[in-house]
Amino acid sequence: MHEKIRKFIFENFLFDAENSALDNNDSFLEKGIIDSTGILEVINWMEETFGFEVDDMELIPENLDSVNRLADFIKRKAVTTPQ
Amino acid sequence: MLLHNYLIHSAERFPTKAAVVHKGKTFTYEEIFSGSLSIANWLVDNGLQKGDRVAILMDNPSEYIKAYFGILMAGGVVVALNIQTSVRILNYQLNNCEIFAILTHVKFIKYLSELSDSLPSVKAVAVIGWKAGLIEDPPFRCFDYDEILGSFSGSTHTSPNVAASDIAQIIYTSGTTGQASAVMLSHSNLTSNTDSIIKYLKLTEHDRAMAVLPFFYSYGNSVLLTHIAAGGTLAIRQEFLYPNEIIEEMIKEEVTGFSGVPSTFTILLNRSAIRHYKFPNLRYITQAGGAMSPKLINELKSILPHVDIYIMYGQTEASARLSYLEPEELFRKSGSIGKAIPGVTLEVLNPEGYPVKPGEVGEIVARGENIMAGYWKEPERTAQVLRKEGLWTGDMARIDEEGFIYIVSRKSDIIKSGAHRISPKEIEEIILEYSAVHEAAVVGVEDEILGEAIKACVVLKHGFSCTKRELLSHCHKNLPLYKVPQHIEFREELPKTSSGKIRKIDLKQT
Repeated sequence: MHEKIRKFIFENFLFDAENSALDNNDSFLEKGIIDSTGILEVINWMEETFGFEVDDMELIPENLDSVNRLADFIKRKAVTTPQ
Repeated sequence: MLLHNYLIHSAERFPTKAAVVHKGKTFTYEEIFSGSLSIANWLVDNGLQKGDRVAILMDNPSEYIKAYFGILMAGGVVVALNIQTSVRILNYQLNNCEIFAILTHVKFIKYLSELSDSLPSVKAVAVIGWKAGLIEDPPFRCFDYDEILGSFSGSTHTSPNVAASDIAQIIYTSGTTGQASAVMLSHSNLTSNTDSIIKYLKLTEHDRAMAVLPFFYSYGNSVLLTHIAAGGTLAIRQEFLYPNEIIEEMIKEEVTGFSGVPSTFTILLNRSAIRHYKFPNLRYITQAGGAMSPKLINELKSILPHVDIYIMYGQTEASARLSYLEPEELFRKSGSIGKAIPGVTLEVLNPEGYPVKPGEVGEIVARGENIMAGYWKEPERTAQVLRKEGLWTGDMARIDEEGFIYIVSRKSDIIKSGAHRISPKEIEEIILEYSAVHEAAVVGVEDEILGEAIKACVVLKHGFSCTKRELLSHCHKNLPLYKVPQHIEFREELPKTSSGKIRKIDLKQT
């Protein structure tokens, strides 16, 4: 899961940066990696890739603001979303 | 009236009142003023002369505001730079403006390290989080910003001999050329515009704005100046990444005003929980920075029926604001940018300089004390837009029988993406540097969130190959993220007119 998220972040926001440019705990906001429209791309990608809908109330940093937080959020959503 | 007197007067009237709330910290007017005074004294101590340019490259809003007013109090000229930048852009801006000093944060030191040998005009740099050795053998003096605030505090400020007609601020704005142009704004340009905005928005010391727009752009700058002048409070959240947090803070801070560009409201309406909240204190919303669709305006009004919505129009060259639509006219004059703000005259003129008839299209021309002194070091370009009739804005519009103005199009091909103005030429130049590229044309294409997204149409050299990813990676290395194209289209050739000019209109449509 973490690798899948990292691949998406690197392909869309970090391009050819070295793997060490992003730690799985790094805040996207603090590091300036993703901007306000970038986070919407992340949400769209999650919804399309994992087949769940992100509720407006779930759009908070606790769910989205690092690779680790995204991975945890996706796992939680996968459990609660009916297949 | 001098611009820094806004802070001085508000600090005298409301010393213990909150000027800034940021990330749970409150800064009173007295604290902001005291910080500004330290910075002014530091600059003078380092030899700043009246009119010297001082750059701010910071994303910490309380320190940005201290730096802004400190530079003015010392008699300097503020050059506030976009924090989404690159070595190339900074090299151009800092040298173009012949910057005397820089106030910055340690997170931007990587740029200064690379540029330290190419900034001959820079004499002093103050860094939040400075540690010795961060820049190897710097040719300028480096200071710890926090030490400046401490060691220069309490000193008496001696006002330099600054006149209202002197330049107070230089703002870089995308021009039709590859390099950004620098708009020179005098103290009286900015104060006349600030006073006018305060008047029509009816701002007082009781107003509390949620400031999400960056201060280095002219719209954000006007939000800053109007609230400091009125003695109001700025709750600041300039990273618009998690709108729900911003909404909750708006309620907690009992915010009375909110200013945004179309993409701000698109994100709020489509990707936030705004419909689940009530905003009992919110009095007004302002929207500028490009046309917002009537559908979005209707949605906003239906969610916030008690809130006045001001549609506004302006340009950096006008210190920010030129017109506004009275909230009562929002639906009757849907799609209009309204009429001139107090102190400004707007006309829609034909190329010969005569007013067009109602319904006919002409160019918006503005007069008023808020109109810029000119473009820095660009007398020819200045003369092209500042003519005897006033500022020729480049915006084509029609005017109705009642004098309401409706923008139809822009003369230049500047891309309006989110809060940014982007010169296609700058991106084209970067793409053309890539060895496999023969020709490139960059246009703005409609985008639901951004207003316009960047599309690059590229023709490769015969026998060369290159992937989208390789080209994007090249752009990313040389451009800030917001200037990296969202779409790349490889083509056999670019559509051209008989005279060989690229027909960009065709590229926008495909």
